[in-house]
Amino acid sequence: MNKLLSSTFFRELLRVVVAVLIALGIGFIITLLVSDQPIEAYKAFLFGPLTKINRFGDWIEESITLTFLGLSVAIVFKANQFSLGQEGQMVLGALVSGSIALFVPLPAYLRIPLAIMAAMVVGFLWGWLPGYLKAHLNANEIVSTLMLNAIALLFYEWLLTYYIKPPTAGYTSSATFPAEGTLPTFFPALPFLADLRTLFMNQTNISIALYLVVIAVMVVYFLMFRTPFGYELRMVGANSKFARYGGIDVKKTIVLAFAVSGIFAGLAGSHLAMGIHHKLILNITYALGFEGIVVSLLASNNPLAVPFAALAYGYLRAGANIMERSSDMSREMVLVIQGIIILLVTAEKLMPMVQKRISSRKPGVRTGGDKTDDESVSGTTLAEGGD
Amino acid sequence: MDFQVVLGSILSAGFIASVLRISTALILPALGGLISDLAGSINIALEGTMLVAAFTGVVVSAYTHSWVMGVLAGLLAGTLFSLLLAFANIYLGTNIILAGIALNIMAIGGTIFLLYTLTGDKGNSSTLASLKVPDIIIPLVKDIPFIGEVLSGYPVFVYLAFLLTWLVAVFLYRTRLGTHLRAVGENPEAAASVGINVNRIRIIAIGLSGFLAAMGGLYLSMAYLSLFQNAMTAGRGFIALAAVYLGGRKPWGTLLAAIIFGFAQALAINLGSLKIPSQLVQMIPYAATIIALVVYNLRQVAQARERARRFQEQHMAEMAASQAGSE
Repeated sequence: MNKLLSSTFFRELLRVVVAVLIALGIGFIITLLVSDQPIEAYKAFLFGPLTKINRFGDWIEESITLTFLGLSVAIVFKANQFSLGQEGQMVLGALVSGSIALFVPLPAYLRIPLAIMAAMVVGFLWGWLPGYLKAHLNANEIVSTLMLNAIALLFYEWLLTYYIKPPTAGYTSSATFPAEGTLPTFFPALPFLADLRTLFMNQTNISIALYLVVIAVMVVYFLMFRTPFGYELRMVGANSKFARYGGIDVKKTIVLAFAVSGIFAGLAGSHLAMGIHHKLILNITYALGFEGIVVSLLASNNPLAVPFAALAYGYLRAGANIMERSSDMSREMVLVIQGIIILLVTAEKLMPMVQKRISSRKPGVRTGGDKTDDESVSGTTLAEGGD
Repeated sequence: MDFQVVLGSILSAGFIASVLRISTALILPALGGLISDLAGSINIALEGTMLVAAFTGVVVSAYTHSWVMGVLAGLLAGTLFSLLLAFANIYLGTNIILAGIALNIMAIGGTIFLLYTLTGDKGNSSTLASLKVPDIIIPLVKDIPFIGEVLSGYPVFVYLAFLLTWLVAVFLYRTRLGTHLRAVGENPEAAASVGINVNRIRIIAIGLSGFLAAMGGLYLSMAYLSLFQNAMTAGRGFIALAAVYLGGRKPWGTLLAAIIFGFAQALAINLGSLKIPSQLVQMIPYAATIIALVVYNLRQVAQARERARRFQEQHMAEMAASQAGSE
C-alpha cells in the first residue's frame, strides 16, 4: 500500500519534472537562437533570483500571489469547471482593498482585516456570477469569465482614473497607502534579530501575507478533503452525472465552486495592492491572468502541492524579469515556456508513451508488461531508475 | 445636442460601413469556431490563432515586400498553429480546453517576444514597413450615393466573410464531408461505428477553423489596421465563440450574431464623442456578449421545456386514445 502510494506520487512528480525540464530546454534553444549572449541571459534566468536579497524578496512575494491564484484555480478545476475569471476577481479585490486602505479612517488592526475581508467578499461575488450562469443557464464559463474579466479591468481603470487618482498626480496611480493600510512585514519584532528584520524590511515587501497564505492552503485542503462541500466538489468533478444520481445538488456545488474560488483570487488582489505595490496602479494584474492555471496544473489541483508549484513557477517568473533587465531577451519568453508546460503536464498519453518506450528498451528489467498493468509496472521501474 | 450628433452618425452610411468592417474581424473566426464546434472540438485557441496569423502576415509582408506572400504565410502559420491543438488533443491526450488555453498563452507571449526581438519594441510593429491588402472598389456601384458607400471600397476580407458564410453553409449541409463532420460532433461513437474516421474529421475541422481564424487575424493587421499591436485581438476570438452559440450553431445565425457584436463595438467607438468615460463605453461589447449568452441559453431552456411539454401532451393523448379504443 505504502509502496503503491509512493509510486503514484513519484509518477506525478516525475511527470511534472519532465515537463518542466523539456520546457526549459526549449526555452534554452530559443535563447540560443535569439540572444547575442545566450549563456549570460539563461544564467540570469536560472540563477538570478538567488543573487540579491531584493530579488529573493521579489520571488517570495510573487510566489505568495501565485499560491493564492493556484488555490483559486485548484478549487474550480477540481469540480471540472474551466473558470478563467481569476484576473477579474483579483483586480476587483485589489480595488476594494486599496480603496479601504486609502480612504477608511480606521486604525491598522481594523482597517487591514476589513480590507482583506472586503476583497474576499468581492471575489466571492464576481465568481458567483459566472457560476450561476453556468449552473443554471449552461452559459459557457470560458466565454463568460473572460468577458467578466474585461469588464472588471475596465471598471478598475475607470474608478482609478476618475476617482482614486489624486488630481495632481502625473500618471495614473493612487496615492501611496498610509502605514495603516499596508500589510506589515512578516518578520517578527525580536530584539536579537533586529538587524535582519531591518534588512528584510528595507529590501523586500514580504509581508504577513506569508502567514495568510499558509493558512489559506490549509483551509483549502480542509475544505476539499474534510467537508461535505469538498466531497461534493470532487464528485461533481469526477463525474457530474453520477454525482447527481447520488443525490448531490450539482448546480449548487458548481455555483459554490466558482464563488469560493473567487475568494482566493480576491485575496491575491488584496496582496498585490496592500502587500506588494502599496498603491493602486494601472495594469496591476499585468501578466498574472492565467498564472494560477499553470500553478494548479503543476500541483495536480492538490492544495498542499500548490505552494511548492508556486515557488517553482514563481522562480521562473522572477528569473525571466531579471533576464529581461540584464540581457537582450524579453521576459515574454516565459509565457512560451508556460504554454509548453501546460501542454506537457496535461498530456495524458505522453507519459505512458514515454514509459512504454523506456520499458521496451530495457527488456531485462521487466518483460512482457503487455496491456493491462504495463503502465504501473513501467512507472515503478522508471521511478526507481530516476533515483 | 451631443446625443443627436451620435444618433445622426449612427444612421449614416459611414456607420453601416464601420459596422461591417468591425464585424468582419468577428465573422471570420466565428465561422471557424462554428466548424470545430459542430465537430465536437471546441476551439478555444481562435484568439491565439488570430494573433499568430496577424503577426506572421505583417512580418512576412514587410520582409518580402508582397502582401500576397504575407497573407499566404499568415494563413499557413494560423492553420499549422491550430493543428497543434488537434495534435495535442488527439495524440497527446491533452484536454482540448487546457490545450487551447496553453496555445493562447504561447501566442500572446510568442508574438510579443518575437516582436521585441525583431523591432526592439513590445508595443507595435510600426517600425516594420508592412503592407496592406488593397481595398476593392466596385466600378459604377461606387458612384451611387449611400449604396456606393455601403457596398464598395472594403478590403477583400469583408466580401470574403459573407461569401465564406455561404460556402461554410454549403460545406456543412450539402457535402459528404460536412455531414460526416456534424455526425462526429453529434455522436462520435455512432459515427465511428459506421466507418467514419473520427480523428481525421476532427483534424480537418480544427484545421479549417484555424484557417478561418487566421483570415480574421490577417484582416486585423493587414486591412483593418496596417500594423501589428501586442494582443491586438483583444478578446475577439472569444467573442467569436459567443457568436457561435448566440447564432444557434448555424452559419447564417453566426454571421448575424457576429454583426450584432460588431454593431455594439461600432456603437462604443461612436459614443466616444460623448462625454462618457471611454472605459465605460468599451465595456459595451463585453457586456453585450454576456447578455447574449444569457438570452441564448434562456431560449434553449425554454425550448427544451416546450419540447418536454409537447411530448407529454402527445403521450397523454395517445394513452387516452388507446384506453378509449380498448373499452
